[in-house]
Amino acid sequence: MSGPAARAPAPDDRGLGDVWMRFWFEPTDPRPLALVRILVGLLGLALLWSWQGDLGRWCGPEGLVTPASAAAWVSRGDGAWLAVVDAALGPRGVWAIAVASFAALVVGAGGTVVAVTAACSLSLLLHRAPMLAGPADDCLVILTWCTAVAPATRAPSLDRVLAGRGRVASAVIAPPAPSWRARLATGLLQVHASVIALAAAIAQLKGDVWWDGTAAWWLAARAESRVVDLTSAYAGSTYLMNLVTHAIPAFEAAFAVGLWASAVRPAIARLGLVAWPAVGVLVGEPFWGLAMAVFAVPFTGLAWGAAASPSHPVTRRAGAA
Amino acid sequence: MGALPGAAAEPVRAAVTFALAIYLFGLALCVIGNTSSGASLLVRTIKGKIFTPFLAPAWLDLGFDYPFTYGLPEDADHVLEVAPFGDPAKRLRFPGDMAGERARRWRRLARAITETGGDPDRTARVAAGVAAAMFDAFGPDVRLRVLRRARADVGGVDPGRLDEAFAARVREIDGDVQLIRDEPAGAVAPVVVPRRDPAGGTEPRP
Repeated sequence: MSGPAARAPAPDDRGLGDVWMRFWFEPTDPRPLALVRILVGLLGLALLWSWQGDLGRWCGPEGLVTPASAAAWVSRGDGAWLAVVDAALGPRGVWAIAVASFAALVVGAGGTVVAVTAACSLSLLLHRAPMLAGPADDCLVILTWCTAVAPATRAPSLDRVLAGRGRVASAVIAPPAPSWRARLATGLLQVHASVIALAAAIAQLKGDVWWDGTAAWWLAARAESRVVDLTSAYAGSTYLMNLVTHAIPAFEAAFAVGLWASAVRPAIARLGLVAWPAVGVLVGEPFWGLAMAVFAVPFTGLAWGAAASPSHPVTRRAGAA
Repeated sequence: MGALPGAAAEPVRAAVTFALAIYLFGLALCVIGNTSSGASLLVRTIKGKIFTPFLAPAWLDLGFDYPFTYGLPEDADHVLEVAPFGDPAKRLRFPGDMAGERARRWRRLARAITETGGDPDRTARVAAGVAAAMFDAFGPDVRLRVLRRARADVGGVDPGRLDEAFAARVREIDGDVQLIRDEPAGAVAPVVVPRRDPAGGTEPRP
């Protein structure tokens, strides 16, 4: 076996430990995560805006959602610390900190501290009125924590411009150094995107309406919460209704699995950029669809997205060095 | 890998690997234990005792079970209605003409009042809190209702009807908030026992 026919083991053949290390720790280009950071910031601002008009009515001193009812709703952990936060900052204070943090994420100021602050303030706000939280909020929290793990402001960001003494062009164009934190954050995004999509598909397949093809109708028949009225189209074509119904969990399952197959990963991620917002509109949760599309961004292979792949030249050059 | 530019040092990788292994195990238990799939008591207990204390504060104790509809009445749009007791003309309805995510949050609040989650006290707390917040506007005796907008059957026409899913009188007496929930019609309906048919001597089918 030691003769000339013996070949050196390929990197992928070196066992589970190496696969684990390569998946989580191989340094990669952080620029795709800068794009995720900007989109997370914009999504966060949009969702926080929905609190703005009624924050006092919901969570104020005489608000509809009392700390006691909030604590009773979230059976996980006691709500004593909510009273401390309420007394110290008040919901308006927490909301203001969250808005400032997500705005800073958009421009890339403040580094990891800002991302952690954004995730913590958003979590606090959701704990204060948990029954108001929806799927988009859940996904936004996950995305924000992943952004906090990434060195996202090392890529194009206000921090980088300031560190480069104002040289905007070099901050945007010059590739930043590969980072293991970028790979860790990308891995976490991949795991969570897959888990969320699969969990949603499984939850849907527990209901008969997702099997008999009528779920699309029941979603469209919600006169107030639907985004577009497709009831006429569904009433005119049962095939269309069945197709839409079956396409949603089929896409979710394909996305969950496809992210793990390198041959189809860019294709399924690019499809996700279009399909997730469409699914969000069809199910009446457009911000959830947008959040899921943000999960897909690092895996598209488009522009900066290519750098997230272990086979990208940036990573390969780093490996050769 | 440690020699690569930007690579993590060995102790960092070991620490992060340890944290990842714990977190990913917790994530799996959260997804299994937070769904309505009837996950085993053991899974829920392990998750609740070990992982919930550090995942829940960060809003990471999530099941991601988003069916969006099962075609059931409780999947319909919910409306919150509050009025002074005995004076329905002064009622307020939420979300009213609001739109977008703001309106969705109001609908979630209304729906929360109808969901016991296995704990009727939880519903009562939420409903009492909502109604009590209206005492300033309506006085210390209000009527709270949650309505569901009826949906058309497949291929049918929107009935434009609001069905009552929850109704209660909430009042303040001596500083305490009392919630008196309307009895469901079924609870007060007479039980009908069919008479024996004298000719055939057989009992008709119920």
